[in-house]
Amino acid sequence: MSGVRVMVVDDHPMWREAVERDLTAAGFEVVATAADGREALARFPAARPQLVVLDLQIPAPHGVEVTAEVVRADPSVRVLILSASGEQDDVLAAVKAGATGYLVKSASREELLEACRRVAVGDTVFTPGLAGLVLGEYRRLSGEPPESDREAPRLTERETEVLRLVAKGLTARQIADRLVLSHRTVQNHVQNTLRKLQLHNRVQLVRYAIEQGLDEEPVDG
Amino acid sequence: MSTREPVTWAVETTLFRGLAVLRLVMLGFAVVVTAVKWDRIDEPGLVVGAWVAMAAWTGFAAWWYDAPQRRTAVPFVVELALAVVLMRLTTVIHEPGHDLSTSATLPSFWVAAVVLGWGIRWGWLGGLASAVVVSLADLAVRPDVTQYALGNVFLLLLGGPLMGWCTRELKQMAEARDRAERIAAAAAERQRLARVVHDGVLQVLALVQRRGAEIGGETAELARLAGEQEVSLRAFVQSDAPDAPDAPDRAVDLAARLSSLGTATVTVSTPPGGVPVPGRVGAELGAVVGACLDNVRVHVGEQAPAWVLLEELPDAWVVTVRDAGAGIPEGRLAEAEAQGRLGVTSSIRGRMNDLGGAAHLTTGPEGTEWELTVPRGGW
Repeated sequence: MSGVRVMVVDDHPMWREAVERDLTAAGFEVVATAADGREALARFPAARPQLVVLDLQIPAPHGVEVTAEVVRADPSVRVLILSASGEQDDVLAAVKAGATGYLVKSASREELLEACRRVAVGDTVFTPGLAGLVLGEYRRLSGEPPESDREAPRLTERETEVLRLVAKGLTARQIADRLVLSHRTVQNHVQNTLRKLQLHNRVQLVRYAIEQGLDEEPVDG
Repeated sequence: MSTREPVTWAVETTLFRGLAVLRLVMLGFAVVVTAVKWDRIDEPGLVVGAWVAMAAWTGFAAWWYDAPQRRTAVPFVVELALAVVLMRLTTVIHEPGHDLSTSATLPSFWVAAVVLGWGIRWGWLGGLASAVVVSLADLAVRPDVTQYALGNVFLLLLGGPLMGWCTRELKQMAEARDRAERIAAAAAERQRLARVVHDGVLQVLALVQRRGAEIGGETAELARLAGEQEVSLRAFVQSDAPDAPDAPDRAVDLAARLSSLGTATVTVSTPPGGVPVPGRVGAELGAVVGACLDNVRVHVGEQAPAWVLLEELPDAWVVTVRDAGAGIPEGRLAEAEAQGRLGVTSSIRGRMNDLGGAAHLTTGPEGTEWELTVPRGGW
């Protein structure tokens, strides 16, 4: 995984160093570290990382805002959330803001490195817990009264099936075997579930901005 | 200054603002009452002087009483004295022979505002004391005590203490509300701090677990212990609301209840924001999932991983418990049943039937999966 430029954001110095050391040893290039949201956003433009490994619970601005901001500044950047408490609302908000990977900090070094590799190449890294949250979020959205001009995002039957299996702890490989699909197709389904949620979130933000008269600046998807 | 104004001051200030309006109305009334009997007034200069004094005090009081620290005894005594003097003047201003028994005094109802002010500031006793003084001054003007005078005195003696009593009640309510708001704010702040502390502890536990496992040996055991505590604490942090005690009719958060079953080997996935279910459904489903997980430990292994998924569908709650064991060998369940051993499987099915739901078992070489469904319609 040589050459992938990574930024590590964590307010806990021991954690930051441990993650940095592991990533460097595995061939990643750690181009920046930051101890809080402000530092992260200040260093992001110059460091131009391809992957941000981000703790959610950091001094302001919060990890969710950092996620939204870096993805806005550079839509090609990948964000892997590394959270100790895994507070559901925060994790879901981060994913909606554009993160494509989530791991709890109890994950082993190998799991972390594997997650970084996969998120860096554009895959999504889901824990069963996150899959449960995303499934629940889609169901919540579909249960809401429909907005006048737009429907809530919906999962296809296949996507629901795949997400349920992820939530039940099956690996992508096992899901591919069970549903007789290719590994890639399973990955695509998982990615689509996130993409639709992120798009919905973005559309809502733009709508909100227009309603509040904050749309002076042109907003390009 | 960092000390906050007591909320009781705010209550008083509001009441004094109301009283300022009342004083103005009373002033207008007093002027009209004397003006309509102008032909019987012998001392117009004195009357106009009294009006000016009343108007000046009305304006001054509106401003003076607006600041809590200015509401000392002095202005109240001055105001009461002014009222008494104005009432005494009633005997001087009229032409000789005017019947004072049923005639309004010079300040008329304007003095009621003085009594109400005392009530607001000094409680029912203050209201009563000032009412007595004003009443005596009123009666002193009358050659005879008529029903008219007695009626006024009675209303004054009633109004002063009543105002004091109402004010005290309002102050106590404001204090209680303020206390409740402060407690709520403190609790919210505590919760926020707890989250920060919990996150720090989780960070350290996760780090110990990670580094310990890498170092190996006895440290690996420490790592395992840290890992277990981490999972318990995370489950606690993730269940935001404290679980209500078991009551069949009270709603409980099934997501929080199932999350508490998570361990280092058991992963629990739930929808965001909690899943409220009737108390009995929560208790029974929690127990059934616990039994399923016990079954995994017994039949698959102490450290065997298991996954619990809770879903809230429009018409049902669905809980899936999955393990990656070798599955239940074909025919074993039927065999056990034939031997009269009902075992865990029947117990799970029975409990789900009691809830009006169903338990569906899928087993095979890739593992065993229980799907527990409770329709929402019946609850």
